[in-house]
Amino acid sequence: MTDPGLPTSEHLEHLDTDTIADLIENLLPAQEAHRAREHVKACPDCQLTYDALVQLSEDLAEEGREDIPMPADIAEHLDQVIVSESVLRASTVGVHSLVQIREEPHRHLPKILTAAAAVVVVAGIGVGVVIATKDQAADSAAGIGPSVLPSGVPSLTARDVGPDAQQWLESTNGPLLNGSATEQVCARNFASGRPNPQVRLVQPARVDGKRALLIGLQGGSPRDIQIFAVTGCDDPGGVANPFYDTTVTLRNR
Amino acid sequence: MTSSEIARIGAAGPVDRQEGHAGPVSYDQMDDHELLRLHVAGNPDTFGFLVKRHRDRMWAVAIRTLGEPEEAADALQEAFISAFRRADSFRGDAKVTTWLHRIVVNACLDRIRRRQVRAADPLPEDEDRAAELAGPSEDDPAEVRERRLDVLNALKQINSDQRSALVLVDMEGYSIEEAAAILGCAPGTVKSRCARGRARLLPLLRHWQTTRGGSEKSGVPEKAAAEVVGTE
Repeated sequence: MTDPGLPTSEHLEHLDTDTIADLIENLLPAQEAHRAREHVKACPDCQLTYDALVQLSEDLAEEGREDIPMPADIAEHLDQVIVSESVLRASTVGVHSLVQIREEPHRHLPKILTAAAAVVVVAGIGVGVVIATKDQAADSAAGIGPSVLPSGVPSLTARDVGPDAQQWLESTNGPLLNGSATEQVCARNFASGRPNPQVRLVQPARVDGKRALLIGLQGGSPRDIQIFAVTGCDDPGGVANPFYDTTVTLRNR
Repeated sequence: MTSSEIARIGAAGPVDRQEGHAGPVSYDQMDDHELLRLHVAGNPDTFGFLVKRHRDRMWAVAIRTLGEPEEAADALQEAFISAFRRADSFRGDAKVTTWLHRIVVNACLDRIRRRQVRAADPLPEDEDRAAELAGPSEDDPAEVRERRLDVLNALKQINSDQRSALVLVDMEGYSIEEAAAILGCAPGTVKSRCARGRARLLPLLRHWQTTRGGSEKSGVPEKAAAEVVGTE
């Protein structure tokens, strides 16, 4: 029933959607809320908006109960990250509980650091996981030095990009794909515009003090890898902007 | 350790090397608490299985909150690594999913805050990728995928404060007080963001609402549809 003191709906401006939404959330001052409520009762259009807003909340709740399948490439990457974490925790000498690690951090730190340096998650999208450890007898037998793998975001000069990337790649049995999902996507996009879009290396680094991403693409032969140092891959949707490139030839392929 | 020694995550392998189980027990048969307890005790496989079990739920939270797949993937990666390392701080009186959910939400909100600090520029659209977000086409009927995409696209068009509040309160079922605690603001602010967010979403989801409800009641008047989408 419309308040007799208020004009009928035909004589009123419609309420805007914000006001009706505020009315539903009890955000309006008492007097304004009273007027708005009476208007909604008398005005079919505003009643429709009111009902639609209430319905929207219910529909969002129903939609919210639905899971959304994770894209396969992201699920793969996540799997690899968790496997890497597990290997890091176990280190090379056995499994440790989180409680042990927390209670005896000094005792376990060297092992964890050793493991961190030793662990490489090698993965192409949709490809399995390969874990390499510091025990690389085959490499030693082939006359190549012990595995040296990047940890975190290594700092290096532009001159070191080629030799370091070569060393990392020679220490693995396949592609070396580190960095965030954003960086992985950026690297793939960068590669897709190249003659040979096979990504062999993704590694965040600081090059001459500049935050960069090192991207390695398959070169003309299986042993040749083109290494690009790029900026612009930090943010989603970013475009790789190369500022240095070199080619390395792997000795163990 | 070689590649052959690393079980693929999600493989329902028997647990016969940890903590004196009487016999092999499939991870499938274990509840979340047991999987997490074994992880804390040193089992290398159970956390991955836990992630596999709940990743679609957590992905839904992340993609709705952040709107961009790469951002959502990075947030989930951070969240799961954090959960992996902090699992021993989990209090067993809560559900594991509640605990995980909270970590994921916080990781998403952290990314939103960092994004707001970095730049006010909207993220670029990626139509091909957006379609992929609705999930594998063989898994759900076309109308389910279409509705899911409509909601995701509409959520992307409102500001991140309103989106976070709406996802928490309307979609994830948090109370206003819980959402306020998570978002670090007053309950009244959450209510205001929800109200304004719904007002912005309404015209964007007019088609979705009408086809979903199919009733006159759920229709949205033209005046609402014609309103310009703005920010808070």
